[in-house]
Amino acid sequence: MIEWFRDIQWEHLFDPELAWESLPFLMQGLQITMLIALAGMVFSLLLGLVLAMGRMSKYRLLRWPARMYISFMRGTPLLVFLFILYYGLPVIGVQFPSAIVAGIVGISMNFAAYSAEVIRSAIMSVPRGQWESAASLQMNYWQTMRRVIIPQATRIALPPTTNIFLDIVKGTSLVSVITVHELLYSSRLVAAQSWDAMTMYITAALIYWAVCVVISYFQERLEVRYSRYLSKR
Amino acid sequence: MIEVNSLKKVFGDTTVLESIDFSVEKGEVVCLVGPSGSGKTTLLRCLNLLETPDGGTVTIGKKTMAFDGSGRVKKRDVNDMRTYTGMVFQGFHLFPHRTVMENIIEAPLTVQGRNRAELVREGEELLGKVGMLEHKDKYPDALSGGQQQRAAIARALMMQPEVMLFDEPTSALDPQTVGEVLRVMESLASEGLTMVIVTHEMNFARRVADKVLFMDGGYIVESGTPADVLENPKEARTREFLQLLEE
Repeated sequence: MIEWFRDIQWEHLFDPELAWESLPFLMQGLQITMLIALAGMVFSLLLGLVLAMGRMSKYRLLRWPARMYISFMRGTPLLVFLFILYYGLPVIGVQFPSAIVAGIVGISMNFAAYSAEVIRSAIMSVPRGQWESAASLQMNYWQTMRRVIIPQATRIALPPTTNIFLDIVKGTSLVSVITVHELLYSSRLVAAQSWDAMTMYITAALIYWAVCVVISYFQERLEVRYSRYLSKR
Repeated sequence: MIEVNSLKKVFGDTTVLESIDFSVEKGEVVCLVGPSGSGKTTLLRCLNLLETPDGGTVTIGKKTMAFDGSGRVKKRDVNDMRTYTGMVFQGFHLFPHRTVMENIIEAPLTVQGRNRAELVREGEELLGKVGMLEHKDKYPDALSGGQQQRAAIARALMMQPEVMLFDEPTSALDPQTVGEVLRVMESLASEGLTMVIVTHEMNFARRVADKVLFMDGGYIVESGTPADVLENPKEARTREFLQLLEE
């Protein structure tokens, strides 16, 4: 045990010089990562909203497909879904214009399922009395949704939505497997060239972390803003 | 102003309202009293269609609706009906993300598309009347129950209803704030507003009501002036209920 520990070559843990020199190259990868992540956030949220509406609809014809979709996406690995899109679809003659597009589509479609459940539960957690008082004031369904329910649901949905966003950022690393030159892919290239996988993957991890810290910061800011109507207790 | 004929309401297998007949004249204050589970609140909610009746007819103002038990109603009819009524709930149900002023101008602004500045002026006048003007920029969370309920009354009044429906407006309040809400309601009554009130405040009913309906088991057991129903009840069930309250 002790020998095993003594044999660790700590001097190879992290090579700051290599990390620094490869940073510009990694930043190019980060741009693609951010492109996919931001597009994934926007589209998964939009599709999630549609799915949540379907899931809450009074019509079975809308409720059932939404339910099936959510069940399938939550019950299958994102990586498998990406493989289906990128390697599977060409077999039946469907091809994405680029691997990046396939990645964005896959991530958006997959995370939309989680987003739908967050949106649905947030909307359902707004008390029924809010619907009733709005109805007694002659507000219709959409006026009530837009002016009364969604603003309150947004505050409730904020922390879990941030979690999804963090998962999306980290999930983009999976598209490196379908040949997208994003952050992890770039790190792997340098790692192969420099024979220093440790430094390169630690650097990649730190960059992902930094991005997530920024997102968490925005969440805190928004949470304060959306909670300003509550007394500080 | 209100005319209800053979109204019926069923929840699953239980009939909660059966052959309800009553009418309310313009300017009248009618109190619905009775034990819990007697159907008072359901009756009130049938008047603005938060519950859809399963039989009978309801007329409010110029709008009449008949119910066939299918549970289906046209949105248009429901909306027409609701233009005549304002409602105050036991739990206030103010919009928590809006200030008092924003709360009371919300519906006239989005539903009627009226001018904001004009509404704010009107709102200030109304808030003055219910003693809430100094709190107009506060959020509901920062207000006491009595203050929230007075704001909720102002919010309903902003839509200029011809009838105000009150569903146990003081039941969720601390004892010390009940009085301020009842005083506001009393002053509305004295201005000639038509009101239907579900309440357990018998002294208030005695003082303010023109008519008292005593309900039990989904029926109107007895109705008349407060003196008739509350002082000299004819029916045994009314006497029992009033006795229980005194104990």
